Amino acid sequence: MEHHNPLEQFAIQRIVPLHIGGIDVSITNSTVFMVLAIALITLFLTLSMRSGSLVPARWQSMAELSYEFIGNMIRENVGNEGRRYFPFIFSLFMFVLFCNLLGLIPYSFTVTSHIIVTFALAAVVFIGVTIIGFIRNGAGFLRLFVPSGVPVFLLPLIIVIEFLSYLTRPISLSVRLFANMMAGHTVLAVFGSFVVALGILAGWMPLAFIVAMIGLELIIAILQAYVFAILTCIYLNDAFHVHH
Amino acid sequence: MTEDPSPPPEEFANRLRDLRKQVDGDNDKGAAEKPGAAAPGSAMGLAFRVGIELATGLVVGGGLGWLLDRWWHTSPAMLILFFFLGAAAGMVNVFRTAREINRRD
Repeated sequence: MEHHNPLEQFAIQRIVPLHIGGIDVSITNSTVFMVLAIALITLFLTLSMRSGSLVPARWQSMAELSYEFIGNMIRENVGNEGRRYFPFIFSLFMFVLFCNLLGLIPYSFTVTSHIIVTFALAAVVFIGVTIIGFIRNGAGFLRLFVPSGVPVFLLPLIIVIEFLSYLTRPISLSVRLFANMMAGHTVLAVFGSFVVALGILAGWMPLAFIVAMIGLELIIAILQAYVFAILTCIYLNDAFHVHH
Repeated sequence: MTEDPSPPPEEFANRLRDLRKQVDGDNDKGAAEKPGAAAPGSAMGLAFRVGIELATGLVVGGGLGWLLDRWWHTSPAMLILFFFLGAAAGMVNVFRTAREINRRD
């Protein structure tokens, strides 16, 4: 009997081994699925908008819906200054969404189930927001760590706490996405092995659970992409409006 | 080219009004359903989100304390201090998340 390790699905496999200057830059299954996600996003957006009709058909409507979804999100959470960062947030949302959704296809690989991927995305957001904050507000950005109306003797404590709270942002942003994706896929794999182990007699029970679970996973895949994008907006808002 | 294939304007206006009514009706229903109709994922998602906020506070606080201990050779004073500060930061984050969610509803 072959082994059924529920964590096996997360293994990185080198497809084309490549070493440049002692650094491993092999093309892995993760790379393939990232490229696939980007290719699918490009195809989806260009093909569906090719006709560009005034009254949108189904595909065009989907593309416009995702555009307006992020557009409204930025307008509501950041305001008009945030519109400059629409391309970044839209790309981020679509990339996370497509990686999450691609991962739901059986035998595929979930890029976002690796913390290094989500942490890299979160670090880009965190560093970017910090730089934008300092460019726009100068040293005034540091007021983010000083809430108004705090007694002076409490200030040293509050500043340290606010600073730590600021540092948790990239961690919680990345761990949230990674943990959601990894937990869901592990549960699916575990119940998948139950189906095999219980056979025809009782195997339909975990199978029914898997069907329900896939529905939930679909919601989570979309919800987590949304949460990632909206938290990026909220953090970006701090860079524009420093107040507490 | 004088043939106009589109329906007469009054018929179009009627259809538009009917559709608007239908859409508005749907919207009302959606709004009424909103408080009770929590999506199955959302309550769990909320718990997950708040839990992660709390845990990352501890991790970041503990990690920073450990680093400071290594630099200043004060082990374990900074680890203990920053563990509690991190816990406080985690609670601040949970509070902010809860306020954010309340604002959105």
